[in-house]
Amino acid sequence: MAGGAGLTSAPPLDRGIPDFLERPGPSPVHRLNPLTKATLATVTAVAAVALGGLVGPVVLVLVAVILPAAAAGVLGRLIRTSLLLALPIAVSAFLVNLFFFPDGRTVLVEVGPITATAEGFGFALEILARILAISGAVTLFYLTTRPAALVIDLERRGVSPRVGFVANASVQTVPAMVERAAQITAAQRARGLDTEGSVWRRIRGIVPIVGPVILGSIAEVEERTMALEARGFTRPGRRTLLWTPSDTTFERILRWGLVAALVGLIAVRVTGVLR
Amino acid sequence: MSLQLTGVGYRYAGATAAALLDIDLLLGPGEVVGVAGASESGKTTLCLVAAGLAPRTVGGQIRGTILLDGEDVDAWPMHRLSARIGIGFQNPATQLSQVAGTVFEEVAFGPMNLGVPRNEVVSHTWAALETLRIENLAERDPFRLSGGQQQLVAMAGLLAMRPEHLVLDEPTAQLDPEGTRLVGDAIARLAAEGASILITEQKTDLLAAIAARVIVLDGGRIARAGTADDVLADPGLAELGVAPPAMHRLRRAAADAGVAPGTLGSLDG
Amino acid sequence: MVIRWLAALAAFAVVAFLGIGVFGDFSEAAAGNTWALIAAVGLAVGFITYAVVEYLQTRALRSISQQFDTRTIVLMPLAIAINIILGAAVANALKIPIYLDSIGTILVGALAGPIPGALTGFLANILWQYVVPPPFQGSVAAPFAIVAAVIGLMAGLFSRYGWLRPRPDRRTDQLVGGAVVTVGVIAVVAYLGFLGYQEIIGPAGIGVESDNIAFVILGWLALALVAGTIVGLLVILFVRRDLTAAYVVVGGLLTGIVAALISAPISANLFGGVTGAGTDFLVAAFRQAGADIGAATLGQGLISDPIDKITTFFVVYLILSAMARRTKARFPQGEKLIDGEDAVADDSGEWRGAPA
Repeated sequence: MAGGAGLTSAPPLDRGIPDFLERPGPSPVHRLNPLTKATLATVTAVAAVALGGLVGPVVLVLVAVILPAAAAGVLGRLIRTSLLLALPIAVSAFLVNLFFFPDGRTVLVEVGPITATAEGFGFALEILARILAISGAVTLFYLTTRPAALVIDLERRGVSPRVGFVANASVQTVPAMVERAAQITAAQRARGLDTEGSVWRRIRGIVPIVGPVILGSIAEVEERTMALEARGFTRPGRRTLLWTPSDTTFERILRWGLVAALVGLIAVRVTGVLR
Repeated sequence: MSLQLTGVGYRYAGATAAALLDIDLLLGPGEVVGVAGASESGKTTLCLVAAGLAPRTVGGQIRGTILLDGEDVDAWPMHRLSARIGIGFQNPATQLSQVAGTVFEEVAFGPMNLGVPRNEVVSHTWAALETLRIENLAERDPFRLSGGQQQLVAMAGLLAMRPEHLVLDEPTAQLDPEGTRLVGDAIARLAAEGASILITEQKTDLLAAIAARVIVLDGGRIARAGTADDVLADPGLAELGVAPPAMHRLRRAAADAGVAPGTLGSLDG
Repeated sequence: MVIRWLAALAAFAVVAFLGIGVFGDFSEAAAGNTWALIAAVGLAVGFITYAVVEYLQTRALRSISQQFDTRTIVLMPLAIAINIILGAAVANALKIPIYLDSIGTILVGALAGPIPGALTGFLANILWQYVVPPPFQGSVAAPFAIVAAVIGLMAGLFSRYGWLRPRPDRRTDQLVGGAVVTVGVIAVVAYLGFLGYQEIIGPAGIGVESDNIAFVILGWLALALVAGTIVGLLVILFVRRDLTAAYVVVGGLLTGIVAALISAPISANLFGGVTGAGTDFLVAAFRQAGADIGAATLGQGLISDPIDKITTFFVVYLILSAMARRTKARFPQGEKLIDGEDAVADDSGEWRGAPA
């Protein structure tokens, strides 16, 4: 661009890129390329569904979730988080299938009008294994990857910077919005808002909390738009990236290998060779 | 290195009345021009027009000419203008990009968008942080800063793009006293070091301290223009909805009370 | 323009015929599901064809890219956050069979257009599963991303044809038709919902349960919304005499039916019909009545989704009504959301707009 010295007065520095931007992760799993970890999580989840049954997903979880999690030193957190994540659906899946399995013949227990069957129990276990495999795979990714790193990596590979912006900003907006709601709730309570009591009173109490959060955020869209455009956001083409996650030929082969294995597995399942 | 508005008018989309009319304004290199006026007098609109956001981003229609170093910018897209003129707003929170985990990345966001080479992005970012004396915040999460600190980060984000002119729309309006002092000091330092700044303020004390010239807007037109001393000492200022700076109020009160002006000379600074 | 639409239609037809040819047998109970999947795939291929033809004709994708101005890009993260927070709260704390996880999707579709709407829904579900911190993370969101995308797409199309434009102060004879439609749809959907309620939830009662205070608050909000929608729509129709209430109901109904048709096979094949939310009660009821998994999830969807989407469209219409006219007009599709015409500013003389 034309123009000269700019407005900054400080002399040019030889300070380089700060090391806190690309601090390497604590374990080899953390240091894997984010796309590799995303591929692993997705392939594991889809494979668990494609395999079906009980043994397949369990082996898959051992190999593709528990082992890497142990290597990364996040096994404890992984188990806690993924169990917490899977709990509501697991309970649901278990009850629904245990008691309401239409083809169930072998009666285990009878509770009033509903009957628990052995067939329903087996099916419930299968669904459970599948759900645990999915939540475990995704939690492993979540615990070892910074979302921003994945977005930067995808941008380097040619994904539009605008999609990257939406993804990154979404991840930061969720907690920011919750915090905002909490602040407004506290303020409304201080003014005597009722979040307890009868149904009707509670419902009336909620509108002054959520209204301002949603409408206030939408009102800020205009200011944010101007601020972004004032910072060159609309410039077409690629932007400069400060740092990019490392990638290796080995990881590239690994990713394609995983995808190929998954495609193979699905093909085998669809054609009915493995059943 | 000058920004010149000649006969500039602007009206928002769907509005029949103009929000700005017949604005003539010259911002030379190293010059600080203050803009005062009541609320709704057109201060913010003038900032948007001068920085090119109106009509490019907000729509509406413009007339007159805006010259940057003598070149008509009428056909320039926003990203080309944003490399030459930086604009800062009142609300520090909405100026954050929302995608930066650290202050350093936040400040680097603008030059990254402009496609500046990586090593220059880094050096411009450090220089901007240094100029505003916030290098110590580089590693912090921008969401977790005070309003005043966030406003400094937003200004650093503009400086890192190396603009020739800075447009600041009431940069201290939404800050607490501590933040106002922090940001006011930083702007005064920038001005003293020779930055070219167009700044609107309701608090005329800051204008009196840093601006060489001041214009006062009323109903979208320029009602007063001249040196800061002349305009801010104008007895008609209050009628235009502008509170004169404390020192002028004091001096007038002293004159009314019969104290000789010379004895208060030291207050002029 | 015409060529692009014809190409898209042809592509859809090819996919449909291929699908019918390959999966020929439609005698089974799950035939409806297969139809829906073929239609969804056909729609996707049709859109891609449209885009490819446009690119071949113009070497650009303006019909898509012009829907993504900075304003839309700023709105999308907000919309995604609203989806995730409300959706997580409803799924966790509320034992009634709705989702309320598409308010943001439909809002973006309405303001910006079908493609941003679809992308918002898609990204919301992917992010929900992969990168959102607990307790908001969703364990089963990603497979339904395609459903969310179709919802955003439909909202964008409805809005493009002016369905969400306010139509206030209509004459009584004009309102009669709208009243019949609105009241009729609400009555049918409410009756179905009531049947579901009586069958399963009745004894337990409707309630909000969670350890998380945010979820409890939002759970009550969701209940309030569903209850308030019926009243709200009637107020809009009869007090403001706004005919758009009828469009909101029909739009919600159609979107709900399509969403149910696409999501049922996904839910049935992947998770045996359960997703851990209040909707599972309905699935259980259908299963008890002897339906197989596919039929049970479809039945659940056909009850839940129309109620959910009518509520959502109503909420979005409320948000749009609360937004300033000038703010709405600046979005890519904003002109379709305001009634009447702006005083056309004369371009004559020295006044000129932004550079192209």
